[in-house]
Amino acid sequence: MIISFPHMGNLSVVLKTLFSGLGCEVLTPPPISKRSIELGIKYSPEAVCLPFKITLGNYIEALDQGANTIVTCGGVGPCRLGYYAEVQRCILQELGYQFEMIVIEPNLASVWKNLRRVAPKHSLREIYSTMRLVLAKMNALDNVQRKVQIIRPREMKKGESDVLWNNAIGEIDDASTMVTLRNAWHGAERNLDTVKLKSSIRPLRIGVVGEIFVMLEPSINLDLARRLGHMGVEVDTTMYLSDYVNGHLFRKSKYLEMYKRLANLAQPYLGHYVGGHALKSIAHTISMRQENYDGIIHVFPFTCMPEVVAKNILPKVSEDTGIPILSIAFDEQSGEAGLVTRLEAFVDLLQYRRLRNASEWDC
Amino acid sequence: MSVRIGLPRGLLYYQYGTVWEKFLHELGAEVVISGDTTKATLDHGSVLDEVCLPVKVYFGHVCDLYKEVDYLFSPRLISVSARQYTCPKIIGMTDMLRSNFKKLPPIIDTNVNLRQNQYSLYQAIVSLGRTLGRGPIPSLYAWYSASKYQKQQRISYKDEPDQQRIGLIGHPYILNDRQISMNVINKLRKFGCVVETPEDVSCHQSTAAVKDWKRIFWSSSHHMAGAALVLMQRPRPVDGIIFITSFSCGPDTLIGELINRRAQSLNIPFMLLTIDEHTAEAGFITRLEAFTDMLSRRKKP
Ligand code: SF4
Repeated sequence: MIISFPHMGNLSVVLKTLFSGLGCEVLTPPPISKRSIELGIKYSPEAVCLPFKITLGNYIEALDQGANTIVTCGGVGPCRLGYYAEVQRCILQELGYQFEMIVIEPNLASVWKNLRRVAPKHSLREIYSTMRLVLAKMNALDNVQRKVQIIRPREMKKGESDVLWNNAIGEIDDASTMVTLRNAWHGAERNLDTVKLKSSIRPLRIGVVGEIFVMLEPSINLDLARRLGHMGVEVDTTMYLSDYVNGHLFRKSKYLEMYKRLANLAQPYLGHYVGGHALKSIAHTISMRQENYDGIIHVFPFTCMPEVVAKNILPKVSEDTGIPILSIAFDEQSGEAGLVTRLEAFVDLLQYRRLRNASEWDC
Repeated sequence: MSVRIGLPRGLLYYQYGTVWEKFLHELGAEVVISGDTTKATLDHGSVLDEVCLPVKVYFGHVCDLYKEVDYLFSPRLISVSARQYTCPKIIGMTDMLRSNFKKLPPIIDTNVNLRQNQYSLYQAIVSLGRTLGRGPIPSLYAWYSASKYQKQQRISYKDEPDQQRIGLIGHPYILNDRQISMNVINKLRKFGCVVETPEDVSCHQSTAAVKDWKRIFWSSSHHMAGAALVLMQRPRPVDGIIFITSFSCGPDTLIGELINRRAQSLNIPFMLLTIDEHTAEAGFITRLEAFTDMLSRRKKP
């Protein structure tokens, strides 16, 4: 069994650890490239949303390189993601691939059942210790990334933290025990602490809200966070992999409470869960306004149903609370030039507002 | 004077409208239903960004209505059957209305969520009645008498053996809205085709037809997929399938693909028609003609 899976940000690091820890052979699909996108588009229904196409491209490339088992997630709606796997399986079969598709539904029972399926001979202890490493890696990656996003707008030498970040990903990926992982993680944080910072600047703070795939996958969001960082903006991504896993899978009470709080915040604007992350997009916008962020960028795949609902509500939120919001829909044609122009205009606007507010305070 | 309640003619109105109307009527309200969709309805609806045409149309109907009524009836239909949902845009519809209108009359937006159990339907009915100042018993009774109207008469067409039979698959609020669907049913009939739609297939049959698939969690799509399979797989299958979808309809992009693939494997021609507010009638007719011509060529021995 040679296992492969779709890409989504640093997910591959995490899944690789998981499956190799369980004694499976793992084939990480080649990084998302123009070719993977083209392949995905070629065989997908035309009007489907972007993550469907990209992940299909990942599968094709992985199967071509010799993978024979694909692990992916399921879902129970109402967002389309829950039905991706059914259709993708059908398409791949028709293309003539011989493979097995393991669809993990978002509940612990299904996770457990499928873990047993790929690792039938492993003892509970082994599975447990693998899981521990996996979760720790996830947290390490998320924490380092948060730190990088804070440093980026402040660094003296542009790009210094990016180099460290890439090294950190590599080292965390290579770590095979809790000890090496902890060294890699803390090493990375220490290195980041040595980055020389410009003194006394107060960068703009922008919160990124929206759909998880677009938010986490730099090759799809055209490296939004880094771009903004280099424009001198501190970016706060509102969703990380660890949040998703801790909240949706382990249903940790801390996260459940947070969801409750968020749902309450969103209530006046969106009274019910509509799938995906729409509720959180609205709630985070409100809560970041309360924390004095300068602006919000809302990202989602073109035609994403839940986020389109959010998009049609966010202008009202912006009007009522006074926080500027930029909504960006990404599709396979999203060009860099257009994005840069929009980001620059937005950042200018925020800068201007800040100056204006400051001078209002002065007099 | 009785209260005037506005009922927009859009989305799930086409499935439940008659019952709602009777129900509200039984409770003593005057019901105002918006007229047929017009060009102006579409224009008003374009305020909303990136949503599908049926949602824009619904919005347009609210524009037509809201000034004339005391209440707007737009329940939040989260789920109409067990373990299923409507679609995100339908669930979020009332919120989109609220965010985009300056002045709306109060909306009756009781949640209807039958995903876990049927019991919540009665809760919804009681709470609806309460909004109108009625107690639980009269409300439930009103619902009971209204639901008798649910079974509408279907006109059945005589099945001429040499006529072309087309399975026309689409959401009820697309097929039954003459403006959105460009009157496709009548157009096809004028070409001399017999048209069968998902409404001609019972829920029972359609559910049985898709039982091998992973459960489709959008109820409307679930029925559409099942109906398409029934129409294609019965002893005398349809000669062709036309799948009519609205641009940016999420569920349809996946379900349409599955139906398309099944049609291919059964050697039944399949055509996808995507509509939005810019769809031109001329091009639409041409495509219909081309498709039916192709079918009749295939039919000739
Ligand atoms: S099911 Fe499709 S057409 Fe209908 S409201 Fe939802 S997205 Fe729009």
